[in-house]
Amino acid sequence: MRGSLVLIAVAAAAILIVGSSALFTVHQNEQAIVLQFGDPKRVIRDPGLNFKLPFVQDVVTYDRRILDFNNPAEEVIAADQKRLVVDAFARYRIEDPLKFYQSVGTEAVVAGRLGNLLNAAMRRVVGSVSLIAVVSGERAGLMARIRDLVNEEAKQFGVNVIDVRIRRVDLPQENSEAIYKRMQTEREREARQFRAEGEEQSLKIRAQADRQRAVVLSEARRDSEILRGDGDAEAVRVFAEAFGKDIDFFSFYRSMQAYRAALGSDDTTMVLSPDSDFFHYFGSSIGEPLE
Amino acid sequence: MPWSNQGGGGGWQGGGPQGPWGRGPSGPTPPDLEDLLRRGQDRVRQMLPGGLGGGRGIAVVAALVIAVWAATGLYRVLPDEQGVELVFGKWVQTTQAGLNYNYPAPIGEVFTPKVTRVNRVDIGFRSEGSLTGTSRSMANESLMLTGDENIIDINFVVFWVIEDAGKYLFNIRAPDDTVKDVAESAMREVVGKQEIASALAEGRSIVEVGTLELMQRVLDDYGSGIRIGQVELQKVDPPAAVIDSFRDVQAARADKDRFINQAEAYRNSVLPVAQGEAAKLIQEAEAYKQETINRALGEANRFTAVYDQYVQAKDVTKRRLYIETMQDILTGMNKIIIDSRGSGTQGVLPYLPLPALQSKPAEGTP
Repeated sequence: MRGSLVLIAVAAAAILIVGSSALFTVHQNEQAIVLQFGDPKRVIRDPGLNFKLPFVQDVVTYDRRILDFNNPAEEVIAADQKRLVVDAFARYRIEDPLKFYQSVGTEAVVAGRLGNLLNAAMRRVVGSVSLIAVVSGERAGLMARIRDLVNEEAKQFGVNVIDVRIRRVDLPQENSEAIYKRMQTEREREARQFRAEGEEQSLKIRAQADRQRAVVLSEARRDSEILRGDGDAEAVRVFAEAFGKDIDFFSFYRSMQAYRAALGSDDTTMVLSPDSDFFHYFGSSIGEPLE
Repeated sequence: MPWSNQGGGGGWQGGGPQGPWGRGPSGPTPPDLEDLLRRGQDRVRQMLPGGLGGGRGIAVVAALVIAVWAATGLYRVLPDEQGVELVFGKWVQTTQAGLNYNYPAPIGEVFTPKVTRVNRVDIGFRSEGSLTGTSRSMANESLMLTGDENIIDINFVVFWVIEDAGKYLFNIRAPDDTVKDVAESAMREVVGKQEIASALAEGRSIVEVGTLELMQRVLDDYGSGIRIGQVELQKVDPPAAVIDSFRDVQAARADKDRFINQAEAYRNSVLPVAQGEAAKLIQEAEAYKQETINRALGEANRFTAVYDQYVQAKDVTKRRLYIETMQDILTGMNKIIIDSRGSGTQGVLPYLPLPALQSKPAEGTP
C-alpha cells in the first residue's frame, strides 16, 4: 500500500514537471516564438494557453504593446542654416516577432538601431526645410515624413513605427541669447513707441488748449475794444450834441473848467500883469477901458 | 481585501470575512472553516490507521483543497475600478463594480485599475509639496519657441483618466510616460503656431483646447484607452531673461495714458480760466463803455443846464463865471504881480529863478 502511494506521488510529480515544461501561457501583453534548440519553429501572436515539446523547445516572449523609444536631443541644421536641438520620441510595435528575433533579438539592440534611423531621417527631413517650418507650419507633416522614412528601414527588424513625434525644438544656447536680445529690443521699440505716442498726444492736447485759450482771449479783447469804442463814440455824440448849441460859450465854459482843474493846486506860482481882465478894477473903481 | 488581488492562496490568510467560503461544499449553514478542517483531519486520522480506504481520504482532502482554490477566484471590483479578466493570459472580459468571479490563479488573472481617478502630469515644473504649494521650474520643459521665433515660458498641467482599462493595460507600455511625452510634443506644436503676443494674452484658451484635442487624437491613434480631461495652463510668461522688457512695455502703456491724462488735465484747467479772463475783459469793457457814456451824459447835461441859464443873461453869466473861476484859481496859488506900465517898472528887473520854480513842483508831487 505504501508503495502504491509513493508511486502515485512520483507519477504526479512527473506529470507536474513535464506539464509545466510543456504548457505555457502567452499573456495579453505578449507574443512568443517557440524555439527548438534555438531554431524558431512557431510564432504565437495570440494570448492563451499553448503547448510545446517539453525540454526540447524554448519560448522567447516579446512585448505586444506599443513600445516607447526616446531619442536624446540631437543638433540638426535646418535648410536656412539655422541650428536646432531636436528631441524626438517614437512609438513602435513588434509586428513580426520572427524577424525581430532573427535581426535584432532584444529591445536594447533595436533601440540603438532606431536611434540611428531616427537621427538620419531627422537630418534629411529637417535639413530640407527652414527653421520656422519645423517650429510651426509643417511640423505635423514633417513628423509624418520622418516616421515614414524610419518605418521603411525599421521593417527589416520586424518593427512597425507607429508614430514619431518631435517633442522639443529648441535653439542652441547661443542662438537663444540672440533671440532674447531681439525680443528685448523689440519690446524696447514697442515701449518707446508707446511713450512717444503719449508724448505726441499730450503735446497735441496742450497745443490745442493753448490755441483755444488764445482764441478765447483775443476774441474777448476784440469785443472789449469794440465795446469801449462804442462807449467813446456815444460819448462823443453826446458831447457834440450838447456843446454844439453854442461853440463860443462851450469854449469859454470848458476853458474855465480846465483852468480850475489844471491850475487848482497850491504850488502854482503865477506871474500876473495888472493889465489882465481880472484886474479890470484894480487900478480904478470905474475900471479901465476895455479893449 | 485579499481576494481583490489575483494571488492564488491569498484566501487562506486572515480568514475573517465569510463571503468567499459561502460557496463551500458543506450544508446550508455557514461552514466554520476550522471546524471543517478539524473534521477532515479527524477523518483522515481514522482512515489511515485502518489501512483500508486510504484513497478515499486523499480524495476528500484533494476535493477540499480544490474547493478552496476555486473559491479564491472571487474578487471584488470597487466603484472606482474596472475589472479586467484574463484566462491563460488572454483578456476575456471587462467587469464592472461588485463581486465577480474569474478562474483562480494560475489559470485566471484579474487587474483592477482605478478608472475614475484623475491622474495629473505637471509639465514645465514639479510641485515640491502640495502643502507648501512651492514648485520648481524645469526650464528645458517649459521654454519653447513660438511661431514668430520668440521664446515663451509655459507651465501646464494635464489631467487624464483611464477610459478603457483593457486598452490602457494591454495596448501601450509606459502609459504615464506616454501621456507626458505626447503632452509636451502637442503643446510645442500648438504654441509653434501661435505668435507670442497672442499666446501671452487672448490665445491661452486656443492653446489649451488645441493641445487637448491634439493629445487626444494621438493617444487615440495609439489605442491607449486614455481620455484627456483637461489641459490647464499654469504660467505663461516671457522668459525670465526678457521679462523686464515685457513689463516695461506695460509701464510704457501706462505712461502713455498718464501723459494724455496730464495733458487733458492741463486743458481742463487752462480753458475755463481763459473763459473767465475773457468774461472779465468783456465786463471791464462794458463797464468802461457805460462809464464813458454816463460821464458824457452827465457833463453834457450839466453844460446844457448851465447853458440854458446863460442864454437868459449872457454877459452877466459869462463874466460871473470868469471872475469866480479866477478867484478860485488865484486864491490857492502863489502870485507875483508885475505892473509893466507903472513908474516903478524900470526899477524891477523881471528875474525868474527857474531852478527854484522847478524845484517846487518836484517837492509837491507825491
